[in-house]
Amino acid sequence: MITGSGLKKTRFDWYLFAFALVLIAIGTFAILSSTSLLPAQSRIIRTHFLALFVGLIFMLLFWVINYQIFNDQWKYVYAFSIIILAGLFIFGVVDKGSRSWYRLPFFSLQPSEFARIGLILSLSSYLEKNFNRMSEFFYLFLGLLITAPFMFLMLKQPDFSGILITLPVIFAMFYVAGASSFHVYVILAYVFVSSLFPFLWTAIVLNPDLADNMFISAFFELADLGWNTFFFIVFVSAAAYLIWKITVYFKNIPGIYFAGFAVIIIAGFLTGIFIKQQIKSYQYKRVEVFISPEKDPKGAGYNLLQARIAIGSGGFLGKGIFSGTQSRLGFVPERHTDFILSVIGEELGFIGTFGAMSLYALIIYRIRKIAALARDNYGYFICVGFFALFFSYFLINFGMILGFLPVAGVPLPMLSYGGSNLVSVFIILGLIQSVYSRRYSIT
Amino acid sequence: MSLIESKSEFDRFDFFLGAFYFVFVLFLIRMVDMQILKHEYYLKLAEKNRTQVINQAAPRGRIISADGTVLASNKPSYSLIYFPDSKTSLQDIKKMALYASKYVGADKEIVFNMLLKAKNSQKPVKVASNLGSYAIMRISELKNFYPGFQMVSEAIREYPYGTWLSHITGYMGKIDAFEWKNYSSLPEYSMDSLVGKTGVEKIYEKYLKGKDGGLYVEVDNKGRMVKIADSREGEPGSDLYLTVNFNMQSAAEKALADLPYKRGAAIALDPYSGKILVYAVKPGFDPNFSVNYNEEKKEKDKNFDEFNIGVQGAYPPASVFKIITSIAVLENDNPPPDEKFFCPGFYDAGDRIFKCWEKKGHKNMDLISGLAHSCDVYYYNAALRVGPLEIEKTAYEFGFGQKTGAMFLSENSGNLFGPRVRARKKSYWFIGDTLNLAIGQGETLVTPMQMAVFAAALASKGLIYEPYYAEKILKRNGEEVFYNSPKLKNKIKLKEKTWEKIYEAMGEVIKTGTGRPIFTEGLEIYGKTGTAQNPHGKDHAWFICFAKKPGEKSKVAVASLIEHGEHGSTSALSVAKAIIRAAYPDTKSDSSKDFSSPVE
Repeated sequence: MITGSGLKKTRFDWYLFAFALVLIAIGTFAILSSTSLLPAQSRIIRTHFLALFVGLIFMLLFWVINYQIFNDQWKYVYAFSIIILAGLFIFGVVDKGSRSWYRLPFFSLQPSEFARIGLILSLSSYLEKNFNRMSEFFYLFLGLLITAPFMFLMLKQPDFSGILITLPVIFAMFYVAGASSFHVYVILAYVFVSSLFPFLWTAIVLNPDLADNMFISAFFELADLGWNTFFFIVFVSAAAYLIWKITVYFKNIPGIYFAGFAVIIIAGFLTGIFIKQQIKSYQYKRVEVFISPEKDPKGAGYNLLQARIAIGSGGFLGKGIFSGTQSRLGFVPERHTDFILSVIGEELGFIGTFGAMSLYALIIYRIRKIAALARDNYGYFICVGFFALFFSYFLINFGMILGFLPVAGVPLPMLSYGGSNLVSVFIILGLIQSVYSRRYSIT
Repeated sequence: MSLIESKSEFDRFDFFLGAFYFVFVLFLIRMVDMQILKHEYYLKLAEKNRTQVINQAAPRGRIISADGTVLASNKPSYSLIYFPDSKTSLQDIKKMALYASKYVGADKEIVFNMLLKAKNSQKPVKVASNLGSYAIMRISELKNFYPGFQMVSEAIREYPYGTWLSHITGYMGKIDAFEWKNYSSLPEYSMDSLVGKTGVEKIYEKYLKGKDGGLYVEVDNKGRMVKIADSREGEPGSDLYLTVNFNMQSAAEKALADLPYKRGAAIALDPYSGKILVYAVKPGFDPNFSVNYNEEKKEKDKNFDEFNIGVQGAYPPASVFKIITSIAVLENDNPPPDEKFFCPGFYDAGDRIFKCWEKKGHKNMDLISGLAHSCDVYYYNAALRVGPLEIEKTAYEFGFGQKTGAMFLSENSGNLFGPRVRARKKSYWFIGDTLNLAIGQGETLVTPMQMAVFAAALASKGLIYEPYYAEKILKRNGEEVFYNSPKLKNKIKLKEKTWEKIYEAMGEVIKTGTGRPIFTEGLEIYGKTGTAQNPHGKDHAWFICFAKKPGEKSKVAVASLIEHGEHGSTSALSVAKAIIRAAYPDTKSDSSKDFSSPVE
C-alpha cells in the first residue's frame, strides 16, 4: 500500500479543506465588494451564505458516506442524474435564454452542476469495471455512449459552457483509464470537425460580407440539411477514394485509413449540422468575441475589455478591498459570477490573483496526491474526474479573462457567486475527503 | 489493483498535472504582464472610464487694433447638453425631444434621434448651442422635469464691427476633416471644435486658442454623475494686436460706405515699416455668420462674398502709372524735365490717333505740369524718347507684377507690361504699346495693395517693405509670445533730383491739378489720380497719395480704388481724404476747395 509522503494518517485532509476555505473567503469578500452597489445585494449575500451552510453539511455527509456505495449503485446515480436534467424540460424555467433552472420557493437550482458530479461518478464506475479493456475502441465508444445523453440534454437547454467544462473531463478520464492514444485522437478529430463546422457557419452569419464570396456562400448553404448534404457526403467519399488510389502508387497505405478519415469528416459534418440547429442566436456573439474581442468597445468585446482593464488597473497591491472603481461602478459585467477574477485583480492586485491561482494549484495538487492514495480504482477515477473538472474550470475562466479563450460564461468554483455551484463544490470536496479517509482497508 | 501499481497509468495522470503546471505558468506570465508591466496603461484606461470631462472651452484670444479697439472678442453663450440615463423611457425621450426642439427651434426628428443615440451609447450629447434668452428660460423650467438636460455656458466669438476688417480677422467654423488631421494630436481640439478658417483666426490659431479647462466628473458605467472629482481652470488665448489704426479704419469704412459704388478698396500703409494702417474693402463679409452657423443652412444662404478686392482685384493703374514714366524720364534725363511738348488734344502715332483725356488739349506741357494735369500727350512724347524698356524696369523695381507678400489668401500678382515681358512671350512690341504703357492703360494690371506699396515707396523715397497687419501677440499677463518686425524687401536708389521733381509734380497735383479736393492746410500732401478705362462699364477710379507735416517724415501712404468710380478725383479721393484727415486729426480741412469741378 502506498502512503503519500507528508500525509498524516488522519481521516480528513485539513490542507484541502483549508485551501478551499481560504478561496471561498476571498470569493466572499469579492462578492460583497462587487455587489455593494447592486439593489439585489442582500438577496445575493443571503443565498451565498445559505449555500455555504448547506454546502458544508453536504460535504460532511459525503465524507461520512463510503464513496464505494456509488460504485455499487451506479445505475441509480446515472438514472438520477439523467432525470434531474431531463426534468428541466418539464419543470425548468427559462433565464437568460436557457432552460437551466428549477425555481424553488426560496432559491433556484441548477441541476447541471449536480448532474455533472453524477456523470463523473457513473463514468468512474464504468471505467473501474472496464479499465483493462479500455484500449479497445468498442469500450471507449461504449463509454462515450454513456455520456451522450448528458451532452444532448445540456445542448438542448442550451448550457453551452456546461458542455465546454464537461468535455475535457470526459476525455481526461478516458485517457487516464488507458484508452488508446490513437482512439482518443480519432474522437478528438471528430469533436473538432463537428465543432469547427458550426463555428465557421456562425462566423459567416456574423460577417455577412463574407458571403459575397461564391465558395463561402456555397459552404454556408451546407449548414442546412438537403441535397447539399448528400453532395457533400458523396464528394468527401469520392475525394478520400481518389486520394487513396493516388497515394497507392507511392506508398501502400491500407484503404481503411482513408475510409476512416472520410467517416470522421462526414460524421463530424452531420453532427455539426445537428449542433448548429441547437445554437441560439445569442450565443453567436460569443463566437464573435473570440474572433475580435476589441472590435467594438460597446459591443460584445466590451465586457472582456472592461474586465481586463479592471485586472490591469489593480497593479501589484490592488486598489484595496471595496475600492475598485471598475467593478464597483459597474463597468465589469457579471462581476460577482463569471468575472469575479477581475474584482479580485482590481482590489487585491497581483497579490490577490497570484494567491487565488496558487490556491487552485494547491487544491489540484492535493487531489492528485489523494488519487495516489485511493484504495481502489473507483476512488482513483473519481479523483481524476474532479481533478480534470477543476483544471477545466481554471483553464477556461482564467483563460477567458486573460484573453486566451473566448467568453464562455463559466464561473470560477469557490470564488464566483452561485449557490448550486458552491454546493456542488462542497459535494466534490466531500467525495474527495471520503476517498482520502478510506485510503486504508477500513470500510 | 493493477492500475495503481502500473507505472504507465500514473504517467498519464501526471501528464495532466504537467499540463496544469504549464497552464499555471502561462497564466502567471500573462498576469505579471497585465498587472505589473502594463499596469499604468490599464490604470489610465480605468481612470478614463471613471471620469468624464465636461469641457469648458477657454476664451479665445481677442483681436485688437493698434489703438486698442477690440475687433473680435467672446461673449457667453449657453448650450443645451443631454446626459443620458438608461432608465429614461422611450416615451419620455419623445416628450423631451418635442419640448427641446420647440424651444431651440430645431427639427423634432433630429433632436429625437440625437437623444436616442445618446441614450443607447450612454454618452452626453450637445443638443443645441448659442441659445437665446427665451430658450434659456424655457429650458431652465424643463430641467426640473427632465433632469437629463443641463445647460452649459461657453464663450462664442463675436465681431462687433461686422464686415469691417473681415478679410484680416477671418472667421471661425467647424473643424473639417483636413484640419482634424492637423489638430487631432492636440488635447484642446475635439471633433466639434471651432477653428479659424481664414485670416488671422486661421494663421494665429495656436496662439488664440488657449487651453481648455474642464470639470472632471466621476461617473458610473451608465454615465451618471457620482461626484465631481476635479475642476481645472483653462488658460485664455493670447490677444493679437493688429497694426491697423481703428480711427483711420473707421473713417475709411464710413467714407467707402457713403459712396454710391458697390465695390472698392482703400489701403493705408506706414511708409517706413509696411504696417497696414487701413484695410478697408467693400464688400466685406460678416464673420459673425459662423457663430450662428447651422449645419442645415448652407453658406450660400448667407450674403457671403469672400472675394478680397484689396489683394485679389487687379486693375489697370491708369494715370497713376505716369509717376513711373516720370521717374524713368527723370533718371535718364531724356527728355529733360524742362522740355515742353505741345498737346493739341491728341497724338498722331502714324497709323492711329491716340487721344488726350482733355479734348481741347493742354497746349505746352513740361514734366511738372504734365503730371499735375495728367496730360497724356506729354507722356506719349516722353515715353517714345526714354523708351519702353526703362519704364518697364522702373515699374518692376517698384514691385509691379510681383506679390507684395502681405499675408492674405491667394494674392494676385497683377501683371507687368513691357517689351521684355512681350519678348518672353515671343510676341512683338509696337509703338502703340509704348504709348499705352506710358499712361498705364495697356496690359498693366495692379492690385490696390501693390498701389499702396508703391505710394509708400514714394513717401519713403524708395523703401519697399512687405506689408503686414499682425503687430504682436500678448498673453493675458502681458507676456509677448509673437512679434512681427518690418521686412525691407527692396531699397530703390534714385537721384535726389528725381525725387525733388516727382515730389514737386505730385505736390502740384494737389495744389493746382486733379487732386485739389484733398488739399489740407498745414499738411504737405502728394498724390496722383487715375481713371482706368474699362471696356465693360464705367471706368475705375484710382487715387494714391501720402502726407506729411512740413519737416517731418510721412506717417501714411494711401491707395484707394473704386470700381466703376469714374473719376479718381472724386470717389477714390474722398476715401483717401478721410484717411489722411484721420491720420492727422489736428489739421483743419479747407472746405472751400472741396469737390470743385470733376477733373481727372
